[in-house]
Amino acid sequence: MIEALFLLYFLVLLATLVFKSRIVTGPWLFLLRAFFPNWKFFHATGNVPHLYARWALPPEAPSDLLQWSDWVHVFPRRPRRLLHLFHNADTNLALVQQNLVEHLAADLNHMTADADARALVSYQLVSRLVCQSLQAQQADCTHGQFEVRMVLDGPMGFIQEDTMMRSPVLACR
Amino acid sequence: MPVSSAVRATEVLLALSMLLQTLEYLRMRQALTVQGLWAWPVQRADIPAGPVQKLLDLLFADRAMHGHLLLRLPVLLLLAWHGSDLALAVFLFASHVLMLIRWRGAFNGGSDFMTLVVLTGLVSAQLVQLGGDPDLAWRAGLWYICLQSITSYFMSGWVKLMQPEWRNGHAMTIFLNAAIYGPLSASSFLRRPWLARLGAWAFIGWECAAPLALLHPLVALVFCTIALLFHFLVFWFFGLNRFFWAWLATFPAILACSAQRVFW
Repeated sequence: MIEALFLLYFLVLLATLVFKSRIVTGPWLFLLRAFFPNWKFFHATGNVPHLYARWALPPEAPSDLLQWSDWVHVFPRRPRRLLHLFHNADTNLALVQQNLVEHLAADLNHMTADADARALVSYQLVSRLVCQSLQAQQADCTHGQFEVRMVLDGPMGFIQEDTMMRSPVLACR
Repeated sequence: MPVSSAVRATEVLLALSMLLQTLEYLRMRQALTVQGLWAWPVQRADIPAGPVQKLLDLLFADRAMHGHLLLRLPVLLLLAWHGSDLALAVFLFASHVLMLIRWRGAFNGGSDFMTLVVLTGLVSAQLVQLGGDPDLAWRAGLWYICLQSITSYFMSGWVKLMQPEWRNGHAMTIFLNAAIYGPLSASSFLRRPWLARLGAWAFIGWECAAPLALLHPLVALVFCTIALLFHFLVFWFFGLNRFFWAWLATFPAILACSAQRVFW
């Protein structure tokens, strides 16, 4: 009897991979999603959102146009240490920032045509991330702007990218 | 592994895992302040307006948050040293859920989920104990943790098996290239297609076969040993140190449940 129940349990799990059901969403379900883990890690390749940003120094005269830097890729890379098995705060913080960009991309995908992205919490947090990141590179920068680009990589590296959104100019001070 | 030993091992490993998490949270607390990236005044818009939002405003104020994290340290040491009781288990459960909400549902994905699983097993066992047989209560708690852990490997393996990029080994190279310690060097041996395919199939096969660990304690021991190596590699290539400790805390449950020999 117990064997049959276990078998049934794992068969039901397999069935959930084949038969897709409606996705239920809601603010509390999002915040408490840890109670409903799907255990799908690194399962699918495809387009991945990447964050690009650029900065501008304050214009010398109010009528001057902003002079923008080149776009820079805001993407975490960290040196590897064995001790990080025990304490890896910096890397984990960088990973959660990358997750934030993925949440923004998902939120943008689900937005209605008349909605304003600036109202999204993920947008506001990414804006802060961009300003912090740009000011770490260029302390004097007063303006920033970012793009979310969907990047497709293959085993040999970059294949293609599409710009999903470009933000308005952000005041970084 | 006897149930009592498995319970103690689970408590100690959970305490270690959460202690490491707490020390990391304390290290990054600047990011959670009003001036930091993850400022609560911005994030509170995630919470529907009402009394819960007001309560969270109090709990997530900078000083309260810092105090909460500091309080976790002695509680976790108590868990490791003395073992759990209902109050301690409920505090850690509530504390973990609060931290998940503070990080918009998850800080480190799967490791948060698995930590919650172990805490749920602990709280359930404590609650069931109130009504009667402690041995039955702990068996139920351990089986819950064990099943969730086995499910995590099983689902993770089968979902990969269904993806052609995993079956041909491409996915492994793509994910390693995009990892926080990446990209792979041009001459990396992991770029060899046959090796990527072999590695992918080895881990898919092992993950899909996870339920077999319940058949015999020896199979469970081999399974957990491979799992340890697997999680170390995940840490080494992707920086996910918390996964290592969160899943390690479930291994005593797997070993104890396999020893109950329910299938033969």
